[in-house]
This record gives sequence, structure tokens and C-alpha cells, in this order.
Amino acid sequence: MGFSTIIDILGSMIVGGMLMLILWRMNDSATKNLYNYGGELVLQQNLAVTSEVLEYDFRKIGYCKNWAKVVDPSKSILLADSDKIKFLTDLYPDGDPDGIIDTLFYRLGPVTELSSTPNPRDRYLYRSINSEIPKKINLGVTKFHLVYYDALEDTIPFPINYPIDTKRINSVEINLTVEDVSAYDNEYSSAIWRQIRLISRNLKER
Amino acid sequence: MFGKGAVLLVLGFSMVFLVFGQHFNDLTTRAVKNSADYFREAKAYNIAATGANIAANKIFFDENWSAGLNNVPFSDGKLNVDVDPNYDVFNQIKKVTSTGTYEGYSHSITILLQPAKFSEFAYYSFYETADPNNPIWWYGTDTVWGPFHTQDYLNCAEHPVFMGPSTSTAKTIKYKTDKNHDKPYIGGKFSDKTNIPLPSNGLDPLKAAAIDDGHLFSGHDTVYITFKTDSITYRYAYKGAKTTVLASELAPNGVIFADNAVVRLQGTVKGVYSVAASGSGGKGTVYLDDDIIYHSDPRTNPSSTDLLGILAKNNVWITNNSANNNNKNINIQGSIYCETGGFGAQNYDTRSVSGNIYLLGGIIQKIRQAVGTFGTYGITHGFAKRYRYDDRLLSVAPPVFPSTKGKFKVISWLE
Repeated sequence: MGFSTIIDILGSMIVGGMLMLILWRMNDSATKNLYNYGGELVLQQNLAVTSEVLEYDFRKIGYCKNWAKVVDPSKSILLADSDKIKFLTDLYPDGDPDGIIDTLFYRLGPVTELSSTPNPRDRYLYRSINSEIPKKINLGVTKFHLVYYDALEDTIPFPINYPIDTKRINSVEINLTVEDVSAYDNEYSSAIWRQIRLISRNLKER
Repeated sequence: MFGKGAVLLVLGFSMVFLVFGQHFNDLTTRAVKNSADYFREAKAYNIAATGANIAANKIFFDENWSAGLNNVPFSDGKLNVDVDPNYDVFNQIKKVTSTGTYEGYSHSITILLQPAKFSEFAYYSFYETADPNNPIWWYGTDTVWGPFHTQDYLNCAEHPVFMGPSTSTAKTIKYKTDKNHDKPYIGGKFSDKTNIPLPSNGLDPLKAAAIDDGHLFSGHDTVYITFKTDSITYRYAYKGAKTTVLASELAPNGVIFADNAVVRLQGTVKGVYSVAASGSGGKGTVYLDDDIIYHSDPRTNPSSTDLLGILAKNNVWITNNSANNNNKNINIQGSIYCETGGFGAQNYDTRSVSGNIYLLGGIIQKIRQAVGTFGTYGITHGFAKRYRYDDRLLSVAPPVFPSTKGKFKVISWLE
């Protein structure tokens, strides 16, 4: 084995080592990108689903198929706070309103409830119907903030008392922030949705 | 050999990068698609909401409008509106379905419209006086809270106050002295040329509702009705036998109708009721023999669901009896409707001096009636007025209360 052979072996080892390093780096980058891109997609889907559900429910504040059952629609909001709201509506399990007034309660849980997920900021968003056990939704919600406006678009300050102040509510601003439940290297992506003025038409009809 | 290996290596890496690149692009595209789909859905919803608003506006100005809209281009989408004028003939409810479509997405909004109710008025009169040469003036001491309308002149003296939206027909304001001396203070907006006629058959739907699922008294000249919160006592003569029943069983739909009779009314109302009397001559009149009040006063309990309509074909009188005379006040809580007469005090100009009329509700009457007379030192006969509007009447009405023909409003909005 001559000197040139040793040079060939050393050269091959160097080239091979560089290729290995490239492959490891590529593998790492691919995993990271896969995680992040996948996380972005899930994030977007979570945000879209949550916002659709919120819009769907909030637009039915004060609605009942049997409209005469809602004696005074302006009193349909029973509780209004910055991270919780309870209102009268007409829900239905199988597609159509049933004409029976239901109570729907949204609230944001504390961060301590979701210590099992890597994200330290995500929380449960609770959606409870009447007196049923609240359904916990973990879609990476980190912020659920509500602002209430009167007919003149002035902000109604907290505390909003029922029914004196809740009767004044004309529209609601919904702020929602969703983050990845877990992320590569703790680089959490976030997405924000804001419904600037959501007006339930039933509140101010009649 | 080395050359081939290098080419294979490059091709291999390229393939791996292409596969990963394709996958990442797909993820990105799907993430953006969520936003695009949300935008399309929002756009379809906005088009549908626009259609519903257009239809509501059309029906407000033309109650017979039912043409709808067919594939109208709007905001790069299509707008379809369908009107069902016979959705509920009995209650005169129309149904409007508006559908917006945008790039394959569609959204429907369904609204119900019904004529507005007279009970929304704090004060309504067709004639402000029975004698045009002797007008009844609104004085500076008078304040009306809530919606006000008269088909007659608005007779003003010494700056009366109207806090709600106020309307009259083509006639204008009449001043006792001149504008500077008598101009009213109007807290809301004043509009003339607003024609809201009284119906001539406004009690017919009440009678039908009483027959359907309420209670109809017929064949009796007089019906004495006393509300006792959960129950109602009635009799047909002053010293006649009393019958007491659960109010919810007597009239499940809340409508109590005395056909061709006089109703003598008093008590404490718990729930939502309309009490009506029809007939001609002396009948079709409701006498308020004593206080008629809510079990839960909405002034102290804004969540109160007690509501009463007092409706007469002719007049609603405060009875000239011991319960209402000799400095005794009368408390009336409800919306009063007099189709051909008015609300006043029986024998207002000869009865003794009474106290105040504490009315919480509204008055809708054909002809304004008097409740007392005044001299230099105050009341000489009858009552002083202490009227207060019940704000709840803006959004709720006693059962089957007469409608303002042609002025529809939205009662339900499903989107």
C-alpha cells in the first residue's frame, strides 16, 4: 500500500464524512420543516374550525325557531365578560333548530389545566350547553378575548351587569389566538383571528 | 466510475429534495386554502345578508312586495331572494330566504317579518280631542317617555317634553301662543307625514286566539275579572258566584276575550296576558275597578316577564268608585288600546278629587279623553297624571296585540 493509496483512503473518508454530515443536517432540517409546516397547517385548520364555530354560535344569540319563546331578545346575553359569555340560543343536535331555548356558555380555562402539553400558553376553550358537562376543546387556543359595544359603537366597560348593561350590547369583538400545541425547538407558530364587529341580528330586532 | 457515482449522488439528492419540496408546497397550499375558503364563505354570507336587508327594506316600504330577487349579480357573486307572503297568514308573518353564492360557496339567511305592534307606543291618538274647537293641550308639565304618535295636530303649550321618537301625519305642530312660547322639546326625532291608521277590526285576531287556545266569555253582559297572580277569579254579576281557576289553564295562550260585554278588571298579573272586550253601545268597555299591576314590577326587577294588554273596542275607564276616589291613587301596569274611544276617568268632571294615575305602559286610543279637571289651586275633579313608559314594550308585546298595518319589522333572523 503506497502513499497514494493512503491519500485515496483519507480523501474518501473526508468526502464520505462530509456527505454524512450533509445527510444528517438534511435529515434534521427536513424533520424541522416537516414539523413546522405540518404545525402551520394544523394551526390554520384549528383557527378556521374554531372561528367558524364561534361565528356560527354567536350569530344565533337570541335566536329561537319558535321566536315567541324569546320574550325579550335584548336580554339574551346572560353573562358578558372579557373571556366568558353566556347567552340564550336555539341549538340542535341533528341539523335543525328544535324551537327550544338553550343556554350556551363559552369560557377560557386557566393555563394550569393544560400542563401536559409542551406549549405553556395553550388553554382549554370550554363550550357548555345548558347544564351539561362542559366540552373541553384543545385547539391550541391561547387567547379568547371579548369586547362589547353598544349601538353607538362605544365600548361597554366591565363589569357588565345583567340585564342593565347586557341589554346595551349591540355587537361583540372576538379576538382569538391559536398556537401550536407542540413545536420543534419550542418555536411555536401562532395565528390570530379577529371578528371586529359580530352582530347578532336577533338582539336588536322587535 | 467516480463520474457515474457523482451523477447518481446528485440525482439522488435532487430526488429527495424534490419529494420534500413537493410535500412542503402541498402543506403550504393547504394552509393558505383554509384562509381562502374562509374568505369565500364570508363573502357568500355577506351577499346573503345584503339580500336579506334589501328584502326587509322593500317590505317595509311596500308590504305587498313578494317578487324577490333572482340571480342578481352582486359583489362578484349571485344573490337570490325568495319571499313567502303566506308563511303564517293568521299572524301575518312573511318569510324571506336570502341566498348568496360566491365561487362555489353558498350561504342562506332566513328572516321572519311581522307588522309592528301598537303596543310599542307610549302614546298614540287618532284625534287629540273629540271637539276640534276645544283642543287638549300638551303642557310644559307633561313629559312623554317612549314613542309618540298622533294622527292629529300636536297641540303644544309652554314647551312640553317628548323624550322618544315622535311622529304625526301630514299635519304639523300647533302652538297655543306662538312657536317661541310653546315649542316642544323632542328628545328623539320628530317626523311628520307618517301615517299610522288605527284598524277597524284590530280585536278580531284576539277573538280568534281566545277561541283557539285562550278563553272566550260570551253571553254575559258584564264579566268581573280579578287577577290573583297564578290564578284568576271571574264572575258575571257584582254579587255573583265566583269561579277561580289557574290563569295558565284558563288561557294557555294568554288571551282572554269578553264578547259583546263589559269587563271590570283589577288584580295582580303574573305572566303575559291580553284582556279584551268587544261590543257596541255601552259594551266593548273595560272598567278599571282598582289597581291592575304586575306581580313583578319591571322598574325594580328588569327581568320581569309580566306583561298585560288591556284592549277595548270602545273605552277604558277608571271606575268612579270608592276604591278610586277620595285621594286614592290608581296603579295601572299594561298597554291600553281603545279602538274607537279612549282612556279616561269615568265622570271625570263630576267625580271627587282622586289621587294620581300611576300608569306604567302605554296608551293607544282613537280619541284622547280627560281624566280630571283643574282649577287655579290644582285638581278640582278626578286625577293627576303620572305616566311612565314600560321600555320592554319596544321589544315585546302582549299576546295578539293589534298590528300597525303595513309597517313590518323583523322578528327572527337565522343566519
